[in-house]
Amino acid sequence: MSTPRECHSAVLSIGVAAPTLRLHVAQVAAGWGRAGGRGQVAVCGPSEDALTLAWLAARRAITAAGILPEEIGGVWWGCTRPPFAEGPNLSFLSAALRLHPQSEAALLSGSPHAGIDALLAAADAVISGRVSTALVVASDSLLPALGSGLEAASGAGAVAVLLAAEGPATLGQVTTEWSPVLDRYRGDLETETREVYDGRLFREQVFLPLCQTVGSSLSADPSTRWSLPDPDGRLGRTLGERLGSIKVVSSAARSELGDTGAAAPLLGLAAALGEPGNLIALGFGGGRATALSIQVSSPVPGSSVVQQHLSGGQEVTYTEALRCRGQLVASGETVEMAVPPGSAMFVRGSHEMLALLGARCLACATVNTPPNVHPTCIGCGAIEFEIIPLPLHGTVQTFVVNQTMPAPFVAPLPLLVLDLEDGSRISCQGASDGSDLYIGVPVELQLRRYALERGVPIYGYAALVATASDNSSERPST
Amino acid sequence: MKTPGPWNKVAVVGAGMIRFGELFDQSYEQMAAGAWRACRESVDLGLDPSQVEAMFVATQRGTLWGQEGIGGNTVPSAIGLSGVPCTRIENACPTGSDAFRVGAMAVASGVHDVVLVIGVEKMRDKSAEEGLLARAAGGHPIYTRGESAPVLFAPFATRHMHEYGTTKEMLASVAVKNHYNGARDPFAHFQNEITVDQVLAAPEVCSPLGLLDCCPQTDGAAAVLLVSAERAQEFTDSPVYVAGFGVATDHPYLHEKQDYLGLLASRLASARAYEMAGIVPKQLDCAEVHDCFTITEILDIEDLGFCEKGSGGAFSAAGETAIGGSMPVNTSGGLLAKGHPIGATGIAQIIELWWQLREQAGPRQVALKNGYALQHNVGGRGSGVSVVNILTRNAK
Repeated sequence: MSTPRECHSAVLSIGVAAPTLRLHVAQVAAGWGRAGGRGQVAVCGPSEDALTLAWLAARRAITAAGILPEEIGGVWWGCTRPPFAEGPNLSFLSAALRLHPQSEAALLSGSPHAGIDALLAAADAVISGRVSTALVVASDSLLPALGSGLEAASGAGAVAVLLAAEGPATLGQVTTEWSPVLDRYRGDLETETREVYDGRLFREQVFLPLCQTVGSSLSADPSTRWSLPDPDGRLGRTLGERLGSIKVVSSAARSELGDTGAAAPLLGLAAALGEPGNLIALGFGGGRATALSIQVSSPVPGSSVVQQHLSGGQEVTYTEALRCRGQLVASGETVEMAVPPGSAMFVRGSHEMLALLGARCLACATVNTPPNVHPTCIGCGAIEFEIIPLPLHGTVQTFVVNQTMPAPFVAPLPLLVLDLEDGSRISCQGASDGSDLYIGVPVELQLRRYALERGVPIYGYAALVATASDNSSERPST
Repeated sequence: MKTPGPWNKVAVVGAGMIRFGELFDQSYEQMAAGAWRACRESVDLGLDPSQVEAMFVATQRGTLWGQEGIGGNTVPSAIGLSGVPCTRIENACPTGSDAFRVGAMAVASGVHDVVLVIGVEKMRDKSAEEGLLARAAGGHPIYTRGESAPVLFAPFATRHMHEYGTTKEMLASVAVKNHYNGARDPFAHFQNEITVDQVLAAPEVCSPLGLLDCCPQTDGAAAVLLVSAERAQEFTDSPVYVAGFGVATDHPYLHEKQDYLGLLASRLASARAYEMAGIVPKQLDCAEVHDCFTITEILDIEDLGFCEKGSGGAFSAAGETAIGGSMPVNTSGGLLAKGHPIGATGIAQIIELWWQLREQAGPRQVALKNGYALQHNVGGRGSGVSVVNILTRNAK
């Protein structure tokens, strides 16, 4: 026990994603009639969840690596609680990322340790030679029990890395240690995660012993930079002290987003991948702790925009956060989608919606969208098409902001007509409140949750005004 | 179809409607009976119900909204004509005007000489959230999600303002004019005048449109009696003839429009109707056009050829479309003031023109110069269907 094993694979690139909302912890305290509360946590907006965050981080990692999605051998996704407790989490993510239809996939779940599990499983696939490029995604959008201390700590975020045999950063030693103890808990019929222990019992008998054991097993020097778990906003610092005046780099992401669960170990060192040297990522959850060393020889592509992609966000009240998390629900009926998620339409149309596909006419090149309702070209009447992925960048041809929407819609809801980079056109929702829109403004498309319909998430693309770092064009064949 | 001069094979010899509004106290069937009674009483020389050989019922929303989905079955019974052949027509917002066109073709075919066309729509028996707004959850789960009615037209306002400098004040001039007319129409839902400032200060519904840029949700029914032109004199000394009509379709998705400055279906439908009637737009004495939103009327008057493309805002603001203007539009108050009970809307527009062409429009009467008037609807997903009917008082 506590003897490191070697894990020889390399990091090609990194991408991160943060949800759009930020909740100040003082707001939570005030909501329960208490004073105080420091810091903030990230909260998913109504159209965001662990899948959309995973998609965004993965897209950024793929774009930073400059490879085509179909070159990726598979996706390993670590997520404490994926959007479908049972369901097509992996096929939805694979489709939306436009991976090869025969690509591998594995979902590691059940505790915040799942991000490390995904990384190690993907590394094994690369080391074995089974895949040449593996996509690792770790994302979470945690749902804390009302009134529990977790409300002040649980956040959301995502991180993705591409692994290959060679790269600017290499994975080195790994140590895992487990103990059959509870940490946080959620039963099969529960929606919210709750704490089970007295704080000091958890700290002294569960968290610190496991983390210290694995952390101290790896060789480190004073220049080694550490990413440490910090489930409550204080344990990270205590662990750092117990490990002996080490250099902790994960505080920035922690204070920006809160505890990001499965994403935390890699998210904590994402920015540090931009600087050569040694890193250690320490992950904890489900009675397990793992420490992993990474040696950076040159800046990892994608690391330079990590800070930009994590910062910002829109401040919301506690009430708004509860509404976004689905913990505050209006009484009364909501308008049902005319096409239920279990209908044949979703079998026919799901892939083209998730991958944003169009049908390009072989005769006149007009792109018909969506393909399955266009057996005949709207441009020339021909009937032969090539199915193509549509560009995720374009400009606004025209738009509106709809202020009168029945539940479950949330107003203001922008609706746009976009001219995409390849000359095709689509209509879609906007992901902002619409105040930043104007004709001609460049936008990017992001996977978003369009609806939670009869309990089932429905995904599609929504437009955001493009930021400088996301404004790079797709390679033509993606 | 290419005929010199008006088609004129069919005449309108009766026309009647109930006052439009939130008719919570009337059933679908009671509204239909009211319109039928008014239509029957309008026939100058009298109508024996047994003379009605066939019926077409215009109701748009079908089974989604309840029993009216089988209106072809229920309406004959409700108005005392059970046993008469009856078919329900649905064609989006032009449902009423298309039922009128189908009725005219049934007469022109020689199969039936006397046809009743009746439009009936209940918009308010369900709440707005369960009714018209619920269409935001209809259609394609992604590409049309959130597309409530204003989203079909407001993007055109955004682009029209961007390209042509059309202003919110110009849009407001449409609402002000149509409410002025509605205040003089005893059948209108809203019979009050409004000001430009009130329109501009109204809450935003769907940018750039505010509440008073939008037509209300209205219940209503309207009916017309069509007969073969040869038999028109049996019913009236002042028949109004069907001079021509046109229908056109366009692709249904918003992103499939050629541009966001006009509606192709309206242009195609009106071109066909003008050709069939053998007239050009300036021969019209007045028109009832589809003003579900203020921007729609601006697009219409351009697409129908009343003014140049891009000049509709200024044309409207200058009063050219007012009663007494060079091209009076929506003298009835239009959809904005009279209301838009979808299946009844087109029929009610035709009734207004019937009154105008027979010089029975009272304070709304326009000066008749050429004796032609045009009725227009456009709607459906992506404004993908338009119907235009042209009426005339001129015998062939």
